[in-house]
Amino acid sequence: MKVLACIKRVVDYNVKVRVKADNSGVDLANVKMSMNPFCEIAVEEAVRLKELSIKEGGVATEIVVVCIGPTTAQEQLRTALALGADRAILVESAEDLTSLAVAKLLKAVVDKEQPQLMILGKQAIDSDNNQTGQMLAALTGYGQGTFASKVEVAGDKVVVTREVDGGAQTVSLSLPAIITTDLRLNEPRYASLPNIMKAKKKPLEVLTPEALGVSTASTNKTLKVEAPAARSAGIKVKSVAELVEKLKTEAKVI
Amino acid sequence: MNFEMTAEELAVVDSAEQVAREVIQPLAQHYDETESFCLASIRALGDLGCMGINLPEEYGGLGIGSLAMSRVVEAVAGACASTASAMTAHFLATDSILLGGTEQQKQEWLPRAASGELLGAFALTEPAAGSNPADMRSRAAREEGGWRIRGSKHYITNAKEADFIVLYVKTDADAGHKGISAFMVPRGTAGISFSSPEKTMGLRGSTIYELALDCWLPESALLGVEGQGFNTAMAVLDRGRVEVAAMSLGIANAALQASLSWVRERQIGPKPLAAYQGTQWRLADMYAQLESARMLTMKAAARRDSGERFSLDSATAKLVAAECAGFITDAALQLHGGYGYSRDLPLERYVRDARILRIFEGTSEVQKIIISRALLDATR
Ligand SMILES: Cc1cc2nc3c(=O)[nH]c(=O)nc-3n(C[C@H](O)[C@H](O)[C@H](O)COP(=O)(O)OP(=O)(O)OC[C@H]3O[C@@H](n4cnc5c(N)ncnc54)[C@H](O)[C@@H]3O)c2cc1C
Repeated sequence: MKVLACIKRVVDYNVKVRVKADNSGVDLANVKMSMNPFCEIAVEEAVRLKELSIKEGGVATEIVVVCIGPTTAQEQLRTALALGADRAILVESAEDLTSLAVAKLLKAVVDKEQPQLMILGKQAIDSDNNQTGQMLAALTGYGQGTFASKVEVAGDKVVVTREVDGGAQTVSLSLPAIITTDLRLNEPRYASLPNIMKAKKKPLEVLTPEALGVSTASTNKTLKVEAPAARSAGIKVKSVAELVEKLKTEAKVI
Repeated sequence: MNFEMTAEELAVVDSAEQVAREVIQPLAQHYDETESFCLASIRALGDLGCMGINLPEEYGGLGIGSLAMSRVVEAVAGACASTASAMTAHFLATDSILLGGTEQQKQEWLPRAASGELLGAFALTEPAAGSNPADMRSRAAREEGGWRIRGSKHYITNAKEADFIVLYVKTDADAGHKGISAFMVPRGTAGISFSSPEKTMGLRGSTIYELALDCWLPESALLGVEGQGFNTAMAVLDRGRVEVAAMSLGIANAALQASLSWVRERQIGPKPLAAYQGTQWRLADMYAQLESARMLTMKAAARRDSGERFSLDSATAKLVAAECAGFITDAALQLHGGYGYSRDLPLERYVRDARILRIFEGTSEVQKIIISRALLDATR
């Protein structure tokens, strides 16, 4: 079984982002970039499916990792290769793409690669859209198991436990299928230093939206990006009674 | 001089920084307080494939340049200096084999040491021979089929935890430093007794021991060529000093970063500590010293890879970086006031840990001897 793991390059989660002075977006100059944490979970799950197959014979046999992004996203693809993916595809686009454009490009890669399982992060920590996986499911017509906290492949089915409000839902999907990962699915490993060095020798193919015949024209436009309002200073209350009163009347929490 | 790193080296540094921050740093206080060997941190480095970053690929090493390597050492030291010390002592041991061993010995020991399976120790110092290793008294005498070793070593990092010790002793008592040879001593060799760990000011998560030696070693235990031990040890220390300089940067930078957030948060009267000019100038001095030490360290690292002689560069980097780590950690503690002196924060640990940097792998005075000798030789 071929698994396609999809990853996005985003601002590292440790970085405190700053909004550009003209409010056109987040300042990316000299900012550390990394693989989106949910995508790390996607890659880890693919690698585990392959490790499982080595032991038990026949789950994942090949992991292809794909990223839609700028040339520099090769860094994140190399990381995925170091984590255990077999080869990488970069669909190079410097534009700030909408989720739909990304889903269309992924659909084109799916058509080309014919994977049985596609694993994506449930959302990217920069744009927080949470829709690319779902859109890819709609475009391909495949079943989807979003917010996965457990994945089990058995024969031509994949059983996915989903994190839903107030509990867990288990769904069975016919392959090919699409999975988006939630936080609890697994704990990604660190890329070992020797594997980082070896990743250099694994194949990395660079494609373009044009070559895939996909138009990335957007109907959306970002008007303004603003930092969250600064927290205003707190106040000191004189008594417990006053505190309770304020919690009731002002904060309205009790 | 080339200070560039390859994309893979940058990724290596990145991964090591992540493990240092997420796995090693949270354990540092525990090992310091319990004065116990930083086993889990060293294991984590082994799993990461970090224990062979000083070795070429042909011996199972990572094959990265010294610039990247020193960045990894810096990251580990910034998280836990004890772990960095245990790791770099292992590098002194494997460098000894790399520079002094026969091809067969390299094949036998290095791949397993690089993978983290085997931990090494480097035993040069004796109670009466620290800055003057040529005056060592431990002896190896030929005996049928091998060597009889008698003597003692002390302050040996990892000695008891190690799977092998590279031991430097005299095979010819009358030949001065030319009479020194190195031996491979595997764990469990009969006739070696270890003291309990020495009680030290800092690096409390890294253990050092005194060794009493009265043991027999086979002929094959001689590392490389008889009489070459001193040259090997000196060449190993030339390399090791780049790593001590990198450790200095790691501890100093941790202290500076802690200070930068502290001075913004700490209110003194109407304004934060950062708003006082005395604070600002202190921070600027700390940064300027750190960056000068960093440039010297990078220069020594680049020189180390170039194949040219680099003793002068590594001694200068080690001297300046170790002294600057002393200044910066002390200044950082001062900026924290009583909170810095409290063991709740790591500032006092940084001060204690940084103090060794001016002592081991040649004291600051010994670095000055090396530097001035090189200068005078060059202008003779
Ligand atoms: C935590 C720790 C870990 C260590 N790990 C190891 C290890 O793994 N392996 C190992 O072999 N050793 C190790 N050592 C030993 C260390 O390298 C020595 O302590 C160091 O080289 C200094 O030697 P010494 O202690 O004998 O000091 P001494 O040589 O007695 O020095 C005392 C003072 O005299 C000064 N001095 C010496 N010679 C001169 C001179 N010619 N001119 C002017 N001043 C001079 C010195 O600078 C110093 O200030 C370790 C030590 C410590 C504390």
